[in-house]
Amino acid sequence: MEKQVLRFKVNGDEYEVFIHPKTLLAEVIRDHLGLTGTKRGCETVSCGACTVNVNGKSVKSCSVLAIQCEGMEVTTVEGLEKNGKLSPIQRSFLDHGSYQCGFCTPGMLMSATAFISEAKNPTKEQVKESIEGNICRCTGYNSIVRAIEAVTQGKYKEE
Amino acid sequence: MINDFHYLKPASLKDALAMYAEHDDCKVICGGQSLLIVMRQGMVAPEFLLDIKHVKELSYIKYDDKDGLRIGATTTHREIEKSDIIAKKYPVLVAMEEKLASIQTRNWGTIGGNLAHADPAGDPGPVLIALKAEIKFGSSSGEKTVPLDEFFVDYFETKMEHGDLVLEVHVPAPEAKFGCAYQKFNLLDSDMGIVAAAASVALNADGTCKEARIVLGNAGPIPLRVTKAEDLLKGKKLDDKIFAEAGGIASDEAQPVADIHASEEHRRHVLGVLTKRMLKKAFEQAQKA
Amino acid sequence: MSHAKYSVINTHVHNIDGVAKVTGRATYTFDVNLPGMLHGKILRSPHPHAKILSIDTTRALELPGVKIVVTGKDTLGIKQGIWRRYEELCDEQVLPLEKVRYIGEPVAAVAAITEEIAEAALDLIDVEYEVLPAVYEPLEAIKKEAPTIHEGVERNVNVTRHIEWGDVDEAFEEADYIREDWFKCSGQAHMCMETRAAVSSFTPEGKLTCWASTQSAYYTQGLLAGVLGLREGDVRVLAPYVGGGFGGKFELDAAMFCSAVMSMKLFKPVKVVFSREEDFIASKRRTPMFYYVRTGIKKDGTFCARESRMFSNGGAYTGMGATALYLSGFFHSFPYKWRGYRYDGYRVYTNTLPSTSMRGFGAPQAMFCSEQQIDWICADLGLDPFEVRRKNGHTEGYEVPGQAFIASCGLEQCINEIEKWVKSKGKLPANRGIGISSCGFMSGGIFNWFDSPYSFSSAVVTINVDGTVELHVGCQDIGQGSNTTMAIIAAETLGVKVEDIRVHSGDTAHCPADLGAWGSRQTLMAGNAVKMACEDAKKQLLEFAYAEMGINIVYDLDIKDRWVHIVARPERGLKYEELVKKALRAKDGQRIMGRGYYTPHRKGMISPAYSYMMQAVDAEVDPETGKIKIHEVMTAHDCGQPINQLGLIGQLEGAASMALGYAYLEDMPMEDGKLMNPNLVDYKVIKAPEMPEAGIIEIDTYEPEGPYGAKEAGEGLTNPTAAALGNAIYHAMGIQMKELPITPERVLKALREKKEQEAQKK
Repeated sequence: MEKQVLRFKVNGDEYEVFIHPKTLLAEVIRDHLGLTGTKRGCETVSCGACTVNVNGKSVKSCSVLAIQCEGMEVTTVEGLEKNGKLSPIQRSFLDHGSYQCGFCTPGMLMSATAFISEAKNPTKEQVKESIEGNICRCTGYNSIVRAIEAVTQGKYKEE
Repeated sequence: MINDFHYLKPASLKDALAMYAEHDDCKVICGGQSLLIVMRQGMVAPEFLLDIKHVKELSYIKYDDKDGLRIGATTTHREIEKSDIIAKKYPVLVAMEEKLASIQTRNWGTIGGNLAHADPAGDPGPVLIALKAEIKFGSSSGEKTVPLDEFFVDYFETKMEHGDLVLEVHVPAPEAKFGCAYQKFNLLDSDMGIVAAAASVALNADGTCKEARIVLGNAGPIPLRVTKAEDLLKGKKLDDKIFAEAGGIASDEAQPVADIHASEEHRRHVLGVLTKRMLKKAFEQAQKA
Repeated sequence: MSHAKYSVINTHVHNIDGVAKVTGRATYTFDVNLPGMLHGKILRSPHPHAKILSIDTTRALELPGVKIVVTGKDTLGIKQGIWRRYEELCDEQVLPLEKVRYIGEPVAAVAAITEEIAEAALDLIDVEYEVLPAVYEPLEAIKKEAPTIHEGVERNVNVTRHIEWGDVDEAFEEADYIREDWFKCSGQAHMCMETRAAVSSFTPEGKLTCWASTQSAYYTQGLLAGVLGLREGDVRVLAPYVGGGFGGKFELDAAMFCSAVMSMKLFKPVKVVFSREEDFIASKRRTPMFYYVRTGIKKDGTFCARESRMFSNGGAYTGMGATALYLSGFFHSFPYKWRGYRYDGYRVYTNTLPSTSMRGFGAPQAMFCSEQQIDWICADLGLDPFEVRRKNGHTEGYEVPGQAFIASCGLEQCINEIEKWVKSKGKLPANRGIGISSCGFMSGGIFNWFDSPYSFSSAVVTINVDGTVELHVGCQDIGQGSNTTMAIIAAETLGVKVEDIRVHSGDTAHCPADLGAWGSRQTLMAGNAVKMACEDAKKQLLEFAYAEMGINIVYDLDIKDRWVHIVARPERGLKYEELVKKALRAKDGQRIMGRGYYTPHRKGMISPAYSYMMQAVDAEVDPETGKIKIHEVMTAHDCGQPINQLGLIGQLEGAASMALGYAYLEDMPMEDGKLMNPNLVDYKVIKAPEMPEAGIIEIDTYEPEGPYGAKEAGEGLTNPTAAALGNAIYHAMGIQMKELPITPERVLKALREKKEQEAQKK
């Protein structure tokens, strides 16, 4: 079965990779591009640790064929900071202690980033729903919800 | 592990239908949110995979006061969830989508893919049937439209034959004095329902029941219309007593399968409760409409 | 002593690993990638009990890309376990030679150039089994006719434990009322976000490096050395960031073992990562327990006697189960004074997934039984559940006879605060109730079952010329924030800022030995070691300051906020950085180094100190479907002096989420020894929309044994929740839930039975 060329942008950089069409987006990101910030925690599209943004929308990269992202823009956790300046949601996570072991954190940040870009004055329930697809075993979620709320309430600006 | 396959990327719907007809051992992928799971488990291993994700002609939401709602098959769940016109005219569809899996799945998965997968525990099926939706599907040989409740045939099996693609879902224009409600029973709100019930009620001018639809989710091989209970309600004055009776019928007619999450008895019991509650909710909506 | 104002302790300090974790820079064993690294996969037994007759690896070896296949025959066949002091409890060959004892047990391992090839090779390994009769429940396995799981172990009774004090029978005589109940507590999966993972690299000099997702690099080092026939010093274990542990990751697991065995044969790095399914079926779980509880109490609410018997489902091997057996029985008496107490625990082997330690270590199960029964007794006798707990609760200075001395105890204040909170809620709507549960938990165990000759915790602190500090500790950060807690203690003790401290942990080559992250020990034990090391370093520094400043001998010097000053005259002093520069010059350019260590001595049978708490759960039941909604959780908590403020809140909320899961969502149903839900679709973990607000009321106490008065926080907090939820449902619906998890179906069944009973009475 032939490999195919995939041309897409990841964190603002153009990439060209040569892959079997069955390769998952998560595999391209981690194994081909070496961006190991994105994690994997299950085989059933359940845990959300692999969440990245594709054209600004959150997706579980373990459940997307990389080849379908031809010409698209992917953002991973590594792409949230700009020249060493952390994004508002990252700073909010630090202030609120919204992580413990940190394994779910990249996925959480990507779900949060997509949500923040779309939501206007969300309720607490909507914030909770925004991370419904991300499992965290350590924090009990509330500190993550507080961090996202703080950003949607305008308490953190882009630096 | 996902098997190796030849990847086919059609540029248009016409191309897609032609390619599909040309290859026998071929599966269609769009969002892949259901397909990739079964492929990874080795349950499905096609030689060809036809990717229609980029077939723009099938991605649309159109509404017309007379014709109703038409949703193209490759429209994502999230697009339906966020549609202003659907929120206004068919709020039950938005409510259903909001609890369908997670945002990530809804961003990539499509309504056409969901219906083609034909999981009796799927959320859209029962709700769309309660809304009296029909589904259009077709191949390079032509198109067909059937009422959605006739589309599902068995577990993970539809009326479609090889070469057929889901093309569009059509929901008729909202009637006056009509209400529709859906609820699934699960431990976590966005999980697939252990069981689920959708109910719609249309009222006569005098407030009696003109027509009711009761559709159960995960209560058999396909979304189950409880026509016996629907017939009970027709023409009658609706109250809690008759809703409970309808619930009892739904409970009896259902064919739920037990698993580790719940016994058969518990499923039947909850189906009865959900039916009763959704009928009441639909009725209250219809009264206000 | 009240919570003093500290510069760093209990202030809002960012977790020091935060930037690494929020930017994707944090590397876990899961991410480790080495040149020439091979991928390993494990073949697992499909049978719950079978003799291994033969294993033919020929076909697998012929698959292109496969480099090696190993079985038990390729190992030293050593039976290992963490209970090194008790050989009979070292009962597990990770790759067994003779027989398999549970579905999912490893039988062979493959290393290949890709994961996919390794996976395909598994199907080509031909194992011939002779299936043996199997037994799955402890009460069945203990019968005479049950199949023997471990040769020489009669009735499959793996371990027994007996705890007793006072004259129990006499104490029962004194009781006006006696109640007895049976309970069934389920297992639970740790379900760490990072599954078990290890990368082993063995080099021609005969040295092994193992990256492992572990709670104790030191244990992993010792256990690996033991089974591989290497010197401990020739094994280096690196725990990079660890994606959760919760009690499941300090034993020797198949990822560590198989990757090491294969690497030793190939002299190439080998990586083994469990799939989520493997993690469910083959990493040891929380111990399922059958509890019989008999309690005698006076009319006025004074506790007289308790007698309990517990049968635990040990599964196929001992794991940490023997400790869980004891601790469950010990904490089952907590937090009350009993005139007579007797506990008999029986851990029984079965052909199921072995059970081991999991956050709470047997106490959540014990409290589910004890705290519910106490509420039922109160209802039977018309007593107030708060008053009864207050009346019998532990107090400072109490000695649990022969077991423990309680040096600090804020239980009464906890009870008072929760009583206030519950009363403030007023009358609740129908089908809704608030349930309470109190408990106490250990701050690290005094057990040395690993027979470590090293101090339980050690620390080395080194001050650089610019005043920055290297802190080397053996304690392991698995997400609970111990790196940050140690940095806070170090910064406070030395008088500097957290950002001046660099914490080194998780590397046996560079860090002193520490027993690791279990039993809620690190804040107290490693914290004490760090405090001692920093006091040592500070003393050396201040020696120069005394000389430098030439002050009156009656004055004391201290360092705070990088300012070395006279305590009585804080405006007089010099900058810390200046002092350090001078001190190094005076020491021939040698950096200031301090050493510290801690091992509990003469601290009873269990632990040097105990945390206390009372928790309330506000829950609602749908009487028609049985579905449970948790509205709110509130905990009054005594952990002595809180050290890591953000960490503490995180531990409370995290513990509540895990404990709630145990109470009503998570289950591990098995059929003929097969786990029926080894995936995250069917194993239900709480998610954000279901997680309620979980507030905390901190109670002010001071623990003399703890660093700055600190005790544990985070494990004890998993103890009360299942009981509190059970009590909430009892008060809401009048039903007694004796089985975990509390499912909608069980609720409806109990409601139906209650209705039938009431109908019969009429």
